Amino acid sequence: MPNILVIEDDPETSAQIVSCLTDGGFQVETAHDGEIGLARALERRFEAITLDRMLPGRDGLDVVRALRDADVDVPVLMISALGDVDERVSGLRAGGDDYLTKPFAPTELVARLEVLLRRHRRSAAPELMLQVADLVLDLVKHEARRGGRVIELLPTEYKLLEFMMRNAGQTLSRRMIFEGVWEYYFDPGTNLIEVHVGRLRKKIDTPGAPPLIKTERGQGYVFLAP
Amino acid sequence: MSSLRLEQVWRTTTFRLTLLYGLVFALGVVGLLGLVYVQSTVYLTRRTDRILKTEANAIAHAAPGQIQASIDEALALNGAQSNIYALFKPDGTWIAGNLRTYPPTLKQNGRSIETGPTPSFPANATLIGRALPSGERLVVGRDADQVAEIRAIILWALIWSGLTIMVAGFGSGLALSIRPLQRLRILQTAGQDIAGGNLKRRMPISQRHDELDMFAATVNLMLEEVERLMSEVKGVTETIAHDLRTPLTRVRAQLHRLQESAQPNPGDLAQITAEIDVVLDRFRALLRISEIEARDRRAGFLPTDLAAIVEQAADLYQPLAEVSGVQFSVSSNGPAIIEADPKLLFEAVSNLVDNAIKFTGEGGAVSVSLRYGGGGPQIVVQDNGPGVPQAERGAVLQQFFRGDRDRSIVGSGLGLSIVTAIVRLHRFQLMLEDAEPGLRAVIECRPAALTY
Repeated sequence: MPNILVIEDDPETSAQIVSCLTDGGFQVETAHDGEIGLARALERRFEAITLDRMLPGRDGLDVVRALRDADVDVPVLMISALGDVDERVSGLRAGGDDYLTKPFAPTELVARLEVLLRRHRRSAAPELMLQVADLVLDLVKHEARRGGRVIELLPTEYKLLEFMMRNAGQTLSRRMIFEGVWEYYFDPGTNLIEVHVGRLRKKIDTPGAPPLIKTERGQGYVFLAP
Repeated sequence: MSSLRLEQVWRTTTFRLTLLYGLVFALGVVGLLGLVYVQSTVYLTRRTDRILKTEANAIAHAAPGQIQASIDEALALNGAQSNIYALFKPDGTWIAGNLRTYPPTLKQNGRSIETGPTPSFPANATLIGRALPSGERLVVGRDADQVAEIRAIILWALIWSGLTIMVAGFGSGLALSIRPLQRLRILQTAGQDIAGGNLKRRMPISQRHDELDMFAATVNLMLEEVERLMSEVKGVTETIAHDLRTPLTRVRAQLHRLQESAQPNPGDLAQITAEIDVVLDRFRALLRISEIEARDRRAGFLPTDLAAIVEQAADLYQPLAEVSGVQFSVSSNGPAIIEADPKLLFEAVSNLVDNAIKFTGEGGAVSVSLRYGGGGPQIVVQDNGPGVPQAERGAVLQQFFRGDRDRSIVGSGLGLSIVTAIVRLHRFQLMLEDAEPGLRAVIECRPAALTY
C-alpha cells in the first residue's frame, strides 16, 4: 500500500485529505508544520508527499527545496491557495512535481497523486506507441488506429488522446486535462473539456466494442486501463 | 498661501541659475571694459607722446636764433593753459616759455614723464625733453588731465555697468523664481489636500505644458489609479456582501432544513453542494483577478502572435460552439506580433468567446477575428445574442460588476472582470459595442501612451 506524507497545517483540510487518501487506498501520515514535515520526509521513505505551500515553521517552497538538496526524489504535490502562473512556476521550479490550487475536490487530489506515482514508477525509456485494447497510438507517425482502421484526428484531438492514454486507468479531472493538453492554468469553464472529450470519444469508439473513455460523475474521466 | 521666504527662493534652481548667469555676464562686461580701458589709455599716452615729439622737432629745427620766437609763437597759437613750451640753458636756468623750473627727472632723450602741478603750470602735465645742438634744453608738454578724465570716465562706466548687471541678475533671478515657486505652492496645497484624504482632487495643470505640468499630469494619472483601486476595494466588499451572502444564506437555510428533517434527501444535498460550488467559483475568480492585478506587469511579456492566440482560442471553443448549436467562425490574416503576456491574453480571449457562446445560445452566431484598426491590431469577439444594454455597458467594464443577464447563467459571472483586469495589465483598450443585434467586444492591442 503506497505510503503518503501529508504536510498541512489546517487540521480541517488535513483531515479531509487524509480521509480521501485512505478511501483511495493509501496509507497516510501527517505533519502539521514545515519543520516536522521535512524531518519526517528525510528520516523515512514515502511514496509521495502532499505539501501545503504556506506553512508555519517552514515555508512549503523551502521544504521541497531542502528535500531536493538532500537528494530525496519522492514525488511532491504542492497545494496552495495561490493559483497564479508565477506561483505555480516557482513551486515547480523549487522541485515540486505538480501544483494543485485550493479549493479542490478530494477526488482531484487522489487523481493527481496517482498520476504522480505512476509517472514516478514508469521507466524513463521513450515510448514509440501506446496501446489500450485494440486502440493503438503511434507516437512516431502521430497516428491512431483501432482494429487496423486509421482514425482521422485533429492536432488537438491527438494531443488529448495521447494525454489520456498515457494516464490510462487514472481519473483525470477537467482541470488536469486542460493543464496537460492545452497547458493553460485558468478555469476552463464548465463544459468546455467535456465537449472535447465527447468529440474524441465519438471518433475512437466503435459500435459494439466497449467504450474506452468512462465518465466519472463530478470527477472527470478515466481512459480504460491497458 | 503663506509668504515666500528669501531662503526658499534661494533654493530654487531658477534663481541660482539666473544668479550664476548674471555673475558670469558681469565678469564678461568688466573684462571687456577693462580691456577698452587699458587699450585706450595706452593709445592716448602714445598719441600724446607722438604729438609732443613732432612739436619738439618742429621747434628744434628752427634757425638757432629763431627758437625763442618759435616758442612764443607756439604758445600764442596753442594757448598757454594746456600746453607747455619752454627753453632752458644747459645748466637748467630758464630762458623762455611757460615752465619756470626744469623738472629734475626729465631726460633729454624724447621719453615722456608725468609731473604734478607747479607754480608756473598749475596742472598735471606730460613732458618730453630734447637737447638742442646749441646745448640748450627744449621742453614740450601738455596738460595730462584730459587723458586722466577719459580714463576716469571709462573706469566709472566699468564699475556702474558691472554693478547694474549684478543687481539686474539678482532681481530677475528673484522674479523668475517666484512664479514657479508660487505654482509649486499651489501643487503643494493640492497635494496636502489629497494626502488628507480628498482623492477626488487633482493637481492643477496650466496651459503651458511645461515640466511642472508634465509632473502634475503624472501625479494625476497616479491618483486616478489610486482612486480606481480604492473604489475597487469598496466594490469587492460590496460584491462579497451581495453576491456571496445570497448563496450562503440559502445554504444555511437548507442545512437548517436538513437538520430538522429525519431523513436527508439526496437532492437537497446536491443542491447545497451546487450552491457552495458557486461560492467557491466566485472566490476563485476574485482571487484570479487580484492575482492578475498584483502581477509584476511585464513579468510574462513576450513577443506574441495575436493570430496564433485567436486561432488557438477558436480551436479550443469550436467544439463547444458546435455542441451549443452556435455557428462559429474565425478569421485572422497574417501574424501580428506585439509584446504581451500570451497566457493571459489567451485567457482574456477565452473568456470573451466563452461568454459569447453562453449568452448567444442555440441558433446564434459567434465570430472571433483579428483585424487592424487605426489604433493597432484588434481582437474582435462578436455575437448576435441579446447584447448588453447601453446603460450597463460602462458598468460591465468596471470591476466585479454582474449584470442582470449574468444571474441566470452558470459560472462566476466575473469573466468580463477578468478580461478587464488582463486588458488593463497590458494597457490595452477593451471596448464593448452594439453589434446590432448582439455584443461586439474589441480588445485593441496597442498600449495606451501616458498622456496629459
